[in-house]
Amino acid sequence: MIVEGIPLPKFVERNVSSRSLAAFGLGFLTVFYIVPILFLYWNSLNFGDGGLFSNYARAFSDIYLVTLARSFYYGVLTTVVTLALGYVLAYYIAFRSAREKLLLGLVVLPLWIAYVIRYLGIQLLLFPSSPLVQLLGTDFGILFSTRGVILGLTTVFLPFAILPIYHALKSIDEDLVDASRVLGATQLRTVRSVILPLSLSGVVAGGIIVFILATGSFLAPAMLGGPNDTMIANIIEQSYSQTFDLGLASSLAVIYTTILLVLLMVFNSYVNLGEVLGEL
Amino acid sequence: MLEVENLTKFYGDLLAVNDLSFKIDEGEFGTLLGPSGCGKSTTLRTIAGLVEPTEGGIYLRGDDVTGQPPNERNIGLVFQDSATFPHMTVEENIEYGLKMNGFGPDEREEQITKYLDLVQISDYRDHRPTELSGGQERRVSIARALAYEPDILLLDEPLTGLDRVLRQDLRNEIKQIQREVEVTTLYVTHDQEEALSMSDKILVLNDGEKQQEGSPTEIYDDPSNRFVANFVGKSTRLPGTVASHDPPRIDTKVGRVPTDAASLDSFDVGEDVAVFLRPEDLSLDPDASEEALQGTVTNVEYLGTYSEALIDIGEGIQAVLHTSTSANIAMGDEVALTFDPSNVIVLEA
Repeated sequence: MIVEGIPLPKFVERNVSSRSLAAFGLGFLTVFYIVPILFLYWNSLNFGDGGLFSNYARAFSDIYLVTLARSFYYGVLTTVVTLALGYVLAYYIAFRSAREKLLLGLVVLPLWIAYVIRYLGIQLLLFPSSPLVQLLGTDFGILFSTRGVILGLTTVFLPFAILPIYHALKSIDEDLVDASRVLGATQLRTVRSVILPLSLSGVVAGGIIVFILATGSFLAPAMLGGPNDTMIANIIEQSYSQTFDLGLASSLAVIYTTILLVLLMVFNSYVNLGEVLGEL
Repeated sequence: MLEVENLTKFYGDLLAVNDLSFKIDEGEFGTLLGPSGCGKSTTLRTIAGLVEPTEGGIYLRGDDVTGQPPNERNIGLVFQDSATFPHMTVEENIEYGLKMNGFGPDEREEQITKYLDLVQISDYRDHRPTELSGGQERRVSIARALAYEPDILLLDEPLTGLDRVLRQDLRNEIKQIQREVEVTTLYVTHDQEEALSMSDKILVLNDGEKQQEGSPTEIYDDPSNRFVANFVGKSTRLPGTVASHDPPRIDTKVGRVPTDAASLDSFDVGEDVAVFLRPEDLSLDPDASEEALQGTVTNVEYLGTYSEALIDIGEGIQAVLHTSTSANIAMGDEVALTFDPSNVIVLEA
C-alpha cells in the first residue's frame, strides 16, 4: 500500500513501491539536470590543438572578465534596490494595510505575464514617442542604460523579495513589538532593533533568490540596456547561437556558476544560512 | 499613583470595557480579576498605551497620559508569554529597556546585575531566552520590566501555562519582589487563588464592568453580588425567599435556613434571595439538629491538609464542605451539615 486509505489495483500495488517512485524523480533529475551539466563540463574542455584548458584561457580574457564582473555588480545592485523596496512594501502589507490579501494578490499578479512583455512595456513607456516622455521632456536617461537594466530587473524580481520578507514579518510575535514600545523604544527604533533583526531570514532568502536570478539575467540587458550593459548570460548565448563557439560558451558557464557558488559559500560562512533560513 | 477614570473601550460594536474607574495607590498591589473576555487585559493594555481607549482617561502620578505613546509612559509590562526578544541574550533583553530609558553604561551594568540577582537568574546572563525553561523566561521578563525602575509594574497573567508547583513558587516570588522593590503593581488574572493570595486590593470584573472593589477578605467574605460570590471561592448555593426578619430566616427548597439579622436588612419578607455558604463555614453535625442540612456524600477528595466533600442535599443542590482529613466520611454516608448563621452570605437573587 502506497497511499493509506486509497485502494489500488493489485498490479499497481505490486509494481509501485516507494523505491520506484523515488527512482522516477531521481531519474528525471539525472537525465535533465545532472547529465546536461556534465555535458557542459565536457564541452568546456578542448581536446584538439591548444591544450585541454584553452577555452578557459580564452574565457579569462579582459572583455569576458569585465562582463562577468558587471553581471555580479548588477546582481548586487538589483538585490540592494529590490530588497529596500521589497522591505518597505512587505512591511506596509504586513502591518499597515487593511487589505493584505488583495495587495499580496497584486504582488503575485505580474508573475503571470512573461518577462518579455513586461520589458517591452517598460520600453514603450520610456520610448521618445511615449506620452509620458513627451510630457516630461525626458526619460531620465533610463532607457538603454544601466539604469534601465536595474529598473527592469527590480520590477520583475520584486515579488521574490516581498513574499519571503512578508512571511518573516508576519511570523514576528506582535507582543515583541509591543514589548519594545513599552520598554521605551520609539517606533523607528523598534523597527531597527526588533522587527528588522527578526525578519532577517526573509531578507536573506529574498536576497539570495533575487541575486541569483538577477546575476544570470539575459532579457533585461538585451531589451533595456545599452551596448555597454551586456551581462554574462548574453555573452554565453551569443557564443553558442551566433558564433557557434560551444567551448567558450561552456567554459564561461562553468566559470560563472563556480563564482556564484563560491560567493554563496562565502556568504554562508558569515551568515549561517541553515540557521537563518531554518526559521522560515 | 495610577488612576483610571471612566474608561470605556469598544472594539467595533463589542463593548470590552464599560465605564471603569479605579485607583491604585503608591506601592499597592492591585489585581484585576475576572473570567476571560471580561476586559481585564484590555484595561491593562490601555494603561500601557498599547490600546487606545474609546472614552475615559488614564492618569499616572497625577499626569494625564491618555494620549501618550507607550514609550513615554515609564511603565513596566510583563506579558502572558514573556515576550522576551529571541535574538538577544538575557543580558541584552534587560539592557534594551535600560538603554531606551537613558541609563549610562555603568548604571546599566549595575541594574542588570541587581535585577538578575533579584529574579535568581544570574547564571543565565549570556543565554538566549530560547535556551531557558518557561519559568526562567518569565523571570527574565520580570527583570526586564523592573530594571529601568518604572513608575508602575503591569503583569498580564504572567503565570499562565506554567505547571502548578512553579506557578505557586513564582507567585510567592513576585509578591516578595514587589515588596522588596516597593513598586506599584497592577496584576491581571483569571485565577482567584492568585488574586486572593497576592493582592492588597482586588477589582472583580465581568463583561467589562466592575463588580466589586476591595481587599481579598472583603471580596471573599462579603461579596457584593452573585457573580463575585460565584467567581471567587467555592460555595454551596441555595436559592430562597426571605421568611421572616425576627428570627431572621430564609426559606429554601431544602429547608429553612437561619441567618443573622444584618444580612436581611435590605430585603423584605417574601423577596427572592441567593444564599451562599462557604465550604469552610460548613461543619458536620453528629447530632443532626433540626435546622441542619441533610444529605448524602457523593464524593470525597483528599487534598492533603483538608478534604473536600460534595454532598447531595436534595432538589439537585450540591453542598461543598471542607473538613479536616481526620473526619471519617466516605461516599454514600448520610450526613447533616450545620453552620454559624453569621457566616451566611445573602445576596440579591
